[in-house]
Amino acid sequence: MRRHHHHPISATASDAVDLDVAHHDLQRGKKRGNYSCGRCGQPKKGHVCHVPTATTTTITDTSSSSIVTPAPVFATPSPCPSPRHPHSHSHLRRALSFEDNTSYFQEEEEEEEPMEIESDWVEAGGLPMNCLWEVLRRLPPVTLLSAAKVCKGWRTCSRKLWRAAEELRLKVPATIQVGFVGSMLQKCSGLVRLSLTMESDLDATMLACIAFSCPNLEAMEVAFSDRAVNRITGCLLLFLHYKMLTSMNDLLSGFSLVFNCPNLKEISLDFSRSENDSTDLVTMVDGLGRSCPRLRKVHIASVHLSHVVVLALTAANLRGLRMLSLILGSGITDASVAAIASIYPNLELLDLSGSSISDSGIGMICNEFPETLSRLLLALCPNITSSGIQFATAQLPLLELMDCGMTICDPCSENLSEESTLNNNGVRKLNFMPKTHNMTTSQSHLVYQKLIIKHARLKKLSLWGCSGLDALYLNCPELKDLNLTSCINLHPERLLIQCHGLENVHALGCQEVLINAINSQVCNNYSSIDDHFPTKRLADGSKRVHVPHISSPQSSGIEKGRKASISLCTVIA
Amino acid sequence: MSTKKITLLSSDNELFTVDEEAANQSLTIKHLIEDTEPENGVPLPQVHSKILAKVTEYLIKHANEPDNDAAAKEELKNWDDKFLEKVNHETLFDLILAANYLDIKGLLDLTCQTVADLMNGMSVVEVRKLFNIVNDFTPEDEAEVRKRRKRGTKTIGPSNDQANQSNH
Repeated sequence: MRRHHHHPISATASDAVDLDVAHHDLQRGKKRGNYSCGRCGQPKKGHVCHVPTATTTTITDTSSSSIVTPAPVFATPSPCPSPRHPHSHSHLRRALSFEDNTSYFQEEEEEEEPMEIESDWVEAGGLPMNCLWEVLRRLPPVTLLSAAKVCKGWRTCSRKLWRAAEELRLKVPATIQVGFVGSMLQKCSGLVRLSLTMESDLDATMLACIAFSCPNLEAMEVAFSDRAVNRITGCLLLFLHYKMLTSMNDLLSGFSLVFNCPNLKEISLDFSRSENDSTDLVTMVDGLGRSCPRLRKVHIASVHLSHVVVLALTAANLRGLRMLSLILGSGITDASVAAIASIYPNLELLDLSGSSISDSGIGMICNEFPETLSRLLLALCPNITSSGIQFATAQLPLLELMDCGMTICDPCSENLSEESTLNNNGVRKLNFMPKTHNMTTSQSHLVYQKLIIKHARLKKLSLWGCSGLDALYLNCPELKDLNLTSCINLHPERLLIQCHGLENVHALGCQEVLINAINSQVCNNYSSIDDHFPTKRLADGSKRVHVPHISSPQSSGIEKGRKASISLCTVIA
Repeated sequence: MSTKKITLLSSDNELFTVDEEAANQSLTIKHLIEDTEPENGVPLPQVHSKILAKVTEYLIKHANEPDNDAAAKEELKNWDDKFLEKVNHETLFDLILAANYLDIKGLLDLTCQTVADLMNGMSVVEVRKLFNIVNDFTPEDEAEVRKRRKRGTKTIGPSNDQANQSNH
């Protein structure tokens, strides 16, 4: 689209937008000619022609169509009061997604309830209304806006489409201002999911628009395009890519507004890892608790997560909370665990990766959640030992996923890697020792740890980067996925895997003898498939459990290990 | 498995024969067969032979939709594109109507998507021409819309001037 060609009279108009004006005229019985049905010539008023019966089939269209259109030229509509159509009984639920400028438009029609065909809704320009509906719902939102200008029938149809939209994906170009998005959102009062890709700044006004226009919003995601990221001066949420502005006042008022969505069930906030991120998490969490009582899943990633934030979260008393993920917060301690456990005893997923909880924290988790917890993620918690992990697997019978990546670390190997990086930087280190040597001359305080896990339901276990692990015994009949990436000190002779259902073992960066040992154990005993995928599997507890930072420090090691492992694997397989 | 043949009868009394499996993609035909068990072909009085020829062509091609064969899917998609490539607009609209009447979801999706793609990038005037629609907005309607817009945000995209130029 481009250009909105208007007929000469409406020079600046994108009449699209305001649909209700003439409609009210119609209601008032304004003098317009009497229309005849285009098909049979009967007077149109009160007449139902060949429109197919009111039972439209339920359409589930998961394969979303995506159209790329040239950059549109926007005529910015004005925010109009949400049109209240007198006949709007039909809650046609659908999803409309919109990225404009480079306007992709993906629609996912989820469900259509029977439409009520109205007399003035019958036929517009050659196509029966349900065919027109089918056509229009495939249009990018920008085209849909201009389609409303074609004639009154189309306008009615497009208006209904907007109202029936459940999901909107909108790309907001830098040139477009809030008013445009606001007016668009006002058309979509039934919106449940909203996803914005911002190329311009997101400010409190925009958040206010969202909060006021979409009372039924359950999920919202705001992403920032690359271009926008470069301009960002404040902090940036990585996962939800939620942009904060520098002004704290704006930010907070924006937050309290946007979170005024009582039906919000899931929230994911990924803050930047930069130290200068000054978001007031406590106030934010506090507001969250007050305005979104139905939250089920909470994911917050921030280096500033602390015990105080956890206390604010527990004070919020979110009754529906089932999944809690508070990652990267080194300020989260065993006391925080106690607070969480006392208020939220029904958690199914708990992700405290990157926290400083210790084995006693695990003990509390085990005491409080034996009935519910199925996923526990404690990656990058340096204070946890193998006995804590062992205890957790013994005490949590429902556990299906456990991530203990980088918990049992070998301090020596860390030193080693530091040294090698120094070497890379051109600094000469003469005391660089080969690994085998290192093992024998390990510091007196360093004790390699052993891990024995026997669990009936565990499906995924990740021990990536557990370089301090020396002996491993696994007896988990349900285990499908085992990640031993970079378990460099695991001793092949002290490895025993008795897992019938094992499908994948990730053994990148391990010693070859170990890989051989794994292969022989897994293949010989149970003829299971043994794959060494060169991937770091993210624990798939939920999409919120992504721990993006984890993969980065590892990647270099993966690169090295990849070739060896793959070639080895092909030899054996 | 025996392939039962189904005969379809167009509005101008032309006969088309397809496999039952192919015909069953049309829910309308499927129900007609189940309910009436017609002997001399399924009568489709709303569909002209010219259109029905295209429809049966589609039905036959799509009789055995590949499930997970990516290459076959790709091939079918290319076929779909070609299928509508040379079709003029009038036929395209008739195909939509036929797909709607015969309740063939795949064909309805395909044709509607094609029309949507067609409209994408068209001006309002062009769309009216394409669909043969008369502008039924009164000058009052348009004036009202303009007024509303003025009242609203002053955020006018870079568009209006260009839009005007292209109009004249």
